[in-house]
Amino acid sequence: MSGILGGEGEHRLLMGNEAIARGALEAGVGLAIGYPGTPSSEVIQTLSRVADQISMRVEWAVNEKVAVDIATGYAYAGLRALATMKNAGLNVASDTLMSVAYSDVKGGLVIYVADDPGAHAGMEEQDNRWFTRLSLLPMIDVSDPQEGKDAVVMAFELSEEYEVPMLVRSTTRVAHMTSIVELGPVRELRRTPGFERDIRRYTRASPKWCMEQHERLNEKLKLLSGRVDGLPVNRLHIPEDGAERGVVASGISWSYLRELLDRHGLWDRVAALKIGTVNPLPRGLIERLMEGVGELLILEELEPYLELHLRAVASELDLRPIIHGKMDGWLPRVGEYTPELVERALGRLLGLELERSNREVEEARAEALKQAPRRPLPLCPGCPHRGTYTAMRMALRELGYKDGEFIVTGDIGCTILGMHPPFNLCWTEVSMGASIGLGIGLRYAGIDKPIIAAIGDSTLFHAGLPPALNSAWHRSRIVIAVLDNRVTAMTGHQPSPTSGYTATGGEAKVIEADEVLRALGVEHIWVADPYNLEEAKEAFKEALRCDGPSAVVLKRVCALVARRMGLTEQPYRVDPERCTGCQLCLRTLACPAMTLSPEGKAEIDGEACTGCGLCAQICPVGAIGRSEP
Amino acid sequence: MIREHNILIASVGGQGGITLSRIIARAAMKMGYRVIVGETLGMAQRGGPVQSHVRIGSQVYGPLIPEGRCHILIALEPVEALRAARYLSPESTILLNETVLPPITAILGEVPYPTLREVVEALNRIGCGVYHLNAEKLALEAGSKRCLNVVMLGAYMAYMEAERLNIITMEAAEEAVRESVPSRYLEANLRALKLGYEALMKSMSSSAY
Ligand SMILES: Cc1ncc(C[n+]2csc(CCOP(=O)(O)OP(=O)(O)O)c2C)c(N)n1
Ligand code: SF4
Ligand code: SF4
Repeated sequence: MSGILGGEGEHRLLMGNEAIARGALEAGVGLAIGYPGTPSSEVIQTLSRVADQISMRVEWAVNEKVAVDIATGYAYAGLRALATMKNAGLNVASDTLMSVAYSDVKGGLVIYVADDPGAHAGMEEQDNRWFTRLSLLPMIDVSDPQEGKDAVVMAFELSEEYEVPMLVRSTTRVAHMTSIVELGPVRELRRTPGFERDIRRYTRASPKWCMEQHERLNEKLKLLSGRVDGLPVNRLHIPEDGAERGVVASGISWSYLRELLDRHGLWDRVAALKIGTVNPLPRGLIERLMEGVGELLILEELEPYLELHLRAVASELDLRPIIHGKMDGWLPRVGEYTPELVERALGRLLGLELERSNREVEEARAEALKQAPRRPLPLCPGCPHRGTYTAMRMALRELGYKDGEFIVTGDIGCTILGMHPPFNLCWTEVSMGASIGLGIGLRYAGIDKPIIAAIGDSTLFHAGLPPALNSAWHRSRIVIAVLDNRVTAMTGHQPSPTSGYTATGGEAKVIEADEVLRALGVEHIWVADPYNLEEAKEAFKEALRCDGPSAVVLKRVCALVARRMGLTEQPYRVDPERCTGCQLCLRTLACPAMTLSPEGKAEIDGEACTGCGLCAQICPVGAIGRSEP
Repeated sequence: MIREHNILIASVGGQGGITLSRIIARAAMKMGYRVIVGETLGMAQRGGPVQSHVRIGSQVYGPLIPEGRCHILIALEPVEALRAARYLSPESTILLNETVLPPITAILGEVPYPTLREVVEALNRIGCGVYHLNAEKLALEAGSKRCLNVVMLGAYMAYMEAERLNIITMEAAEEAVRESVPSRYLEANLRALKLGYEALMKSMSSSAY
């Protein structure tokens, strides 16, 4: 049962991203396209699951720029397109987006981007609200699932009315929060696509046209400015008797603030402005708030975006409210806000002691937390990357390289888990595909050690092909290790060009990394099975001996996908009679399906084991074998 | 009317903590409550720590339980209960599955892994009441280790009944389980619900730590 398919007026429990997906249905979107990235992936995933019941094309693109290019073409034809991505995805798409801002889109074009305060997904905490200043594009920043759904519908209306692409932004907390959403009507647009030649609008080929387009964009924004005060995502509350103090909040901070004002009964003590349009800002509401209050607290995660703008408005109006936020150190610029952080700031603004604290309890809590050992994310049982990294280590050792005598540049995805013990292999993680360029740069700098770039298949196709081409072109001596697990695993096992199926499960062409690399000019390529340590090790040894660019493509489907498809094999078991308790298997592989018995012998959890057989290849006394079916 | 009832589910990715949060949220919604679930999904299937915040009541808006305001912590793994300490207070009750999932570093003895006793003591020092049960054993008895999460739901139902906090009825819980688990595991899950319920009822009548 998918929650997003209910009828108008029904209430459904939806995650923020599911609500965005529902919004796409209600807006009559004809194309939803994106590239996976936490915390944005569930929009396309949710739509793809119901694709056979809706009239929408739902697709994963090879990267965010391609997604936005395609969405733009679709919107140029007069239909509605939604493109989705994570925070860093906007960097990749920005080249197109900056330019499309100057075009008049006929059909609605909405870009949904999910930022990540708190770096839960382990990348930058970039604050994409600034992107609106760079591109001038309008943006709605949403606070909860209901608002997310409604904002998507509204964004499409505005996008078509003003012929401008719209950005809808959320954050991890909003995207991954689940709450009850009231559904609106689903729309199906039956428009005839059309696209007429009009190079004054659709090309930037002349400075004059460019500047005309730029001017027009500014005019659109000015018109939109006059509208945003009245949009439901912006709300001003002023107590009946007025208030000396006010709070401005956006995104998830608004939810925390509402809850606190309810719990402590403070609605009649403070003015509160919720800002949902970060560009254009609800100027009228801001002015009304500022005229009434003497002191303001601004609640926004990451950068002091609203704070700077509100200070500017205050100085323009010649008002001098005291403004608290990040710039005076009340609140941090790093990490996500928590209810406690907001409570403390609110208490400070109002001169109230809102929290109850108890030293003894706090100390006991800290003590308890200290006793919890870290639980680093392991590679799953049967993960093919385990075989790859084990074979890579074996090859380096057999060629006589000790730790520190080689460099492995890492990339993004499950592949980066090779940085943890016992592998300790990946040294860097920068941006999609960067492992290859970094390797080339290190080589150019004169480093003479073996350099291996470890990259997943999805990442290779996303942004790794241009640097691979560069390495072939200039004959750079690096080894590209493609950890080809046939999916985009880290972000939730979305299909990649190697998978052979589309987002909606339809058949797709299988693109093989080795064939593509060969076509790009990488001449020395080995294909190996990471479950076969000997074969993979030999491939690495050969590749490491090459003088120019080389590649080893390690093909084996992700173990979690294999499990889901029922492709796992009979589990292995340890013969306790033969096991000497040397722990070599555990120390080499760190497979979570293995543990130690109270007697210190290796043991395998038959339910967790996928039957990859790596441990049997490691055991020096042959104590591990396949169990009887 | 309930203003604020906060349940934290602490688990290791793959244990079914997320599904459990959805089951409780669905059941609460059936009972007519406002409900919000907050979590970060990155580690959901993958062996990292997962915390799901299930918040029920007319006065909840944010997806995170504020520090110290957890009413019930359902911990599917003992050490994950410790990791959730900041949400606990002397008013919190903890329902704990006893079976451990130590990370490799602990298996190899490189870092200490607290025993069940140490975990319970640390939680007691915060002032929390702790009930623990071997949910894995009960889940196996019900038909599959995968029902561990629903065993803990049964325990939660028993605790709430004993405390006369009838937020969710057994019917609503069962219906939510029906809607949330794959049909081939339904029977086992319904057995798990019952076994968890009975086990906690029994242990409450004997002792609380
Ligand atoms: C620009 C950008 N887009 C998306 C992501 C999210 N992301 C992280 S890793 C990854 C791909 C992982 O797939 P793959 O390279 O095949 O490695 P695997 O996880 O399958 O081992 C994605 C999409 C990102 N970090 N940056
Ligand atoms: S999800 Fe797949 S690729 Fe990622 S660690 Fe698990 S088995 Fe390996
Ligand atoms: S065969 Fe060995 S290494 Fe592979 S999943 Fe099973 S226990 Fe782990």
